[in-house]
Amino acid sequence: MKLILSDRPIHVALPDDENIRYFNLSALKISNCVGCFGCWTKTPGRCVIRDDATKVYPVIAQSDEVLYVSHVKYGGYDSVMKTMLERAIPIQQAFIRIFKGETHHVQRAVALKQATIVAYGELTEEEKDIFTRLIARNAYNMSFASYNVLFVEESKIDETVEKIVRTWQKS
Amino acid sequence: MAKIMILNGSPRAPKSNSKRYAALFAKYCSIACTYFEISKSNHAALRSEMEKYSDVLFVFPLYADALPVGFLNFLKFLENNPPTRKPVVSILINCGFFEYNQNEIAVRMMRLFCRQNHYALGSVLMLGSGEAILDSPFQFLAAAKIKQLAASIVSRSYRVFHVTMPLTRKLFQLASTYYWVQYGKKFGVTKKQMQTMEIESAGEVRSDLGH
Ligand SMILES: Cc1cc2nc3c(=O)[nH]c(=O)nc-3n(C[C@H](O)[C@H](O)[C@H](O)COP(=O)(O)O)c2cc1C
Repeated sequence: MKLILSDRPIHVALPDDENIRYFNLSALKISNCVGCFGCWTKTPGRCVIRDDATKVYPVIAQSDEVLYVSHVKYGGYDSVMKTMLERAIPIQQAFIRIFKGETHHVQRAVALKQATIVAYGELTEEEKDIFTRLIARNAYNMSFASYNVLFVEESKIDETVEKIVRTWQKS
Repeated sequence: MAKIMILNGSPRAPKSNSKRYAALFAKYCSIACTYFEISKSNHAALRSEMEKYSDVLFVFPLYADALPVGFLNFLKFLENNPPTRKPVVSILINCGFFEYNQNEIAVRMMRLFCRQNHYALGSVLMLGSGEAILDSPFQFLAAAKIKQLAASIVSRSYRVFHVTMPLTRKLFQLASTYYWVQYGKKFGVTKKQMQTMEIESAGEVRSDLGH
């Protein structure tokens, strides 16, 4: 499975392929994680908040290619993408493993991923540096086998996405 | 006169570890502290209140390697609606994992927010094993650092502090497994059930959802 998760609409004709999924998060109803840990301790693997996030995190888990498109704020994902990523913790267990010399959570049935992060906004070099390091940390917690961070102007997002999707079709 | 506003940025503020850390801070601080919880609906009220304080202490957890989104939204509100008088900003951040330095990206984000919005940055305390340390025999270590954090803010000799459980990672892993098994028991959920590899199915996911 391949997944495009974006915080704004993407205007690209996507191939008619059920293995390529696209979610425009700005059109979905997703509320903030409340930190109840129900998805680890009460109903393992299932979030207690039954909104659109529950349609997205199973696809995140299944995807071996992910393409995240997000505005950047203070060097991190801006609110729309961050809200979804916080709601994706049902795909992990409460339990800790030691991974790359650090403590991290055991993952449930989560495919290893090649991740491409398309980041946009008026960014300073420092913001780009913080964001790149954030993705390096996410890689450990979100099962990224490899990742690529692309900083693009907002007007170039569609063509960037189109190019990446074309490489998926070849593979 | 120096006065500290403690702002809890945890999404579960009323029942949070951050609330307990904030209470320890207020207990050890020699100047007056007032405690507030950030919610979706009180941004403007907190911004007005903030103008009365010399210092703000943000107490919040690490979420997905960064700031919790509700707290991020509050910072964005402050950016668009700045208080007329800006307090010195100090930070008490805790994360669930053992390594306190997993908080560093979030602290860099806070530094950037302060610089871009012209707040002076005061002291920082990064806590590792923050989900469980207060209910462990190492509570006193967290308390001691919080005391130092308070003293540094009062004396305006700002510093960066950190603390975690004095365990090997292997022992931390065992201790945290015990912690979560007990957590599950409260809901009648066994360790085995918590270890399920199954994630609920996506149901009727359509590839055009959100178009
Ligand atoms: C959605 C979510 C994401 C989290 N992400 C991280 C993380 O990236 N790293 C970490 O060490 N802990 C993470 N945690 C654990 C919290 O930081 C930890 O439980 C903390 O003690 C919560 O503090 P609070 O009770 O004040 O909210 C996460 C918890 C939740 C609910």
